[in-house]
Amino acid sequence: MTVQTDPERTESKYIKRYADFTGKRVLEIGCGDGRLTWQYAKSAGWVTGIDLHRDDLRVATIDRPADLEHKVVFTRADSIHLPFAKESFDIAILAWSF
Amino acid sequence: MVHALNEIHRVLVNRGSLIDLRPVLDRWPIEVTSNSGNHEVGRVTDLPEPVVDDGAADQAMAEAEQHGWFVRERQDVFPFFYYWDTPKEMREYIDKSWDDVIRIEDELWSHLGTSWATANADARVRIRLKMMITGLRKQNPS
Repeated sequence: MTVQTDPERTESKYIKRYADFTGKRVLEIGCGDGRLTWQYAKSAGWVTGIDLHRDDLRVATIDRPADLEHKVVFTRADSIHLPFAKESFDIAILAWSF
Repeated sequence: MVHALNEIHRVLVNRGSLIDLRPVLDRWPIEVTSNSGNHEVGRVTDLPEPVVDDGAADQAMAEAEQHGWFVRERQDVFPFFYYWDTPKEMREYIDKSWDDVIRIEDELWSHLGTSWATANADARVRIRLKMMITGLRKQNPS
């Protein structure tokens, strides 16, 4: 069962129109397997992806490109109790939270 | 979700950006696509509970703006496609991953199968999701 998502890369174009990620600290809520993360992480300064699904987080960690290991981390957390200090991020993304 | 938005407000720097990116149920079109073009064969059926969830998310965002946590700066909708090589693969995916979101009626499955089988050899099937992206800016309530 193979599925291909957004080969037109429309999502990537839109998200880059909505924020300049260059050097920014980014929190992605609902990061899943990291599909969206890889679209902006290269230019970001630091990325934290959170999700409740351990299997997705495992995939995201395994798929993480070597050149992003130093600045992209994934952790299991709930959005209603974010385990971060106040004013820790420049950009927050609520990703596919339906 | 309002609690989550309150938390996001807390961890963002002043004037930080919040991007809300999510699919919105809207009876997404099902298409057969090939080098000769795209052909819509029908639309999915939205299940009631996720439609309610969409409304709840909109309501939470509106409440966050009313609290003065965020100000909305821009919003767009755009298409996001899922592709499968065959209707069978599409059905397996929907049964496994989207069975609590949408339904496709038997008659439409049949029509899709026929349309795909009689299309060009390179034909694939796809669903066009409606994506909504909203950009908001953190502000501190006065």
